[in-house]
Amino acid sequence: MKVNFINIFITFLKIGAILLGGGYVIIPIMQSELVEKRNWLNEQELCDYYCVSQCLPGIIAVNMSILVGYKLAKFKGVLASILGMSFSPFIIILLIANILNKISNIPFIDGIFWGVNLSVIVLIYLALKEMWQKSIVDLFSSIWFALILILTVLKVSPVILIISSILVGAILHLIKGEKNA
Amino acid sequence: MLNSYFLLFFEFIKVGLFTFGGGYASLPFLYQMIENYNWFSSFELTQMIAIAGITPGPIGFNMATFAGFKTLGILGALTSSLALVLPMIIITSLIFRIYLKFSESKLVKSILYVLRPTSCALIAGVGLRLFYSSILKNNLSFSNIDYLGLGLVVILFILTFKLRRDPIIYMMIAAIVGVIIKFC
Repeated sequence: MKVNFINIFITFLKIGAILLGGGYVIIPIMQSELVEKRNWLNEQELCDYYCVSQCLPGIIAVNMSILVGYKLAKFKGVLASILGMSFSPFIIILLIANILNKISNIPFIDGIFWGVNLSVIVLIYLALKEMWQKSIVDLFSSIWFALILILTVLKVSPVILIISSILVGAILHLIKGEKNA
Repeated sequence: MLNSYFLLFFEFIKVGLFTFGGGYASLPFLYQMIENYNWFSSFELTQMIAIAGITPGPIGFNMATFAGFKTLGILGALTSSLALVLPMIIITSLIFRIYLKFSESKLVKSILYVLRPTSCALIAGVGLRLFYSSILKNNLSFSNIDYLGLGLVVILFILTFKLRRDPIIYMMIAAIVGVIIKFC
């Protein structure tokens, strides 16, 4: 398939429409759509993009789409991939949000929401479990986790907590760097 | 009026810029919006999380679209989703040329070493808050615990040891249980 704006848009339209349930699903989808069917990427690039996307702020699937779009056609590719990726989710959310108030009084829908709202607690636990092994690796990270959790419960702004973490990470790097030198 | 679009735009730029580690990591920012601006209720936010999870697309993106729509309608949805992806477009495109050097960099690794537990704690905080509002009904006296809800959460929790981690499965089981309970 020729690499141009329309084709990148259509490809990501498909990816956005079939991306269901959690961030890691993007890997198999991109592998089949971009690596196998279209040969726009190789396995190694897909792996690299995933790693980099995890280090960048924002949403992993969106960052991966930006990287692929940029690789294929610079900013035009980024635009095509983002527009394609977000098109169907955007329309579907608008449709649902629009009718939600009217249908949420129906007992059937009310029952669904009662259950699904509670399942979110378990989904958060699952997301946490997945991140935990990579994140809590030693005594410092455990203490840091506990400290931030307390500050979160005390309603300290997440922006302040993220910025302080970046600063502490940079300071740790400087201290380690000096030790090595 | 224009002011509220500007505020919405600014708030979601913040989400795009400071979210690290998956869709749920943007939740603390959405809770902060409830506290600061009252744009939507915490019940509406749980609905958003649920719908964002069962519809296609990245959860973080879906929640932003939904929250923008709740706040200022269709134009609000456009504002919030655009604001969410804008920082990513700029930062990720700039990083593209040096991405391998970037992810191998010792500075980046050291920052992530501290950022990862922070993301975990922020998400755990959201979990605690959800538990507090939906099971304990915002009351620490334990007098009005939702026992049916608690039972469902405990059952789903036990199922996590048996089932795949695919979120859709848990949402479907919970939805079916919810419908059965409403009609009993």
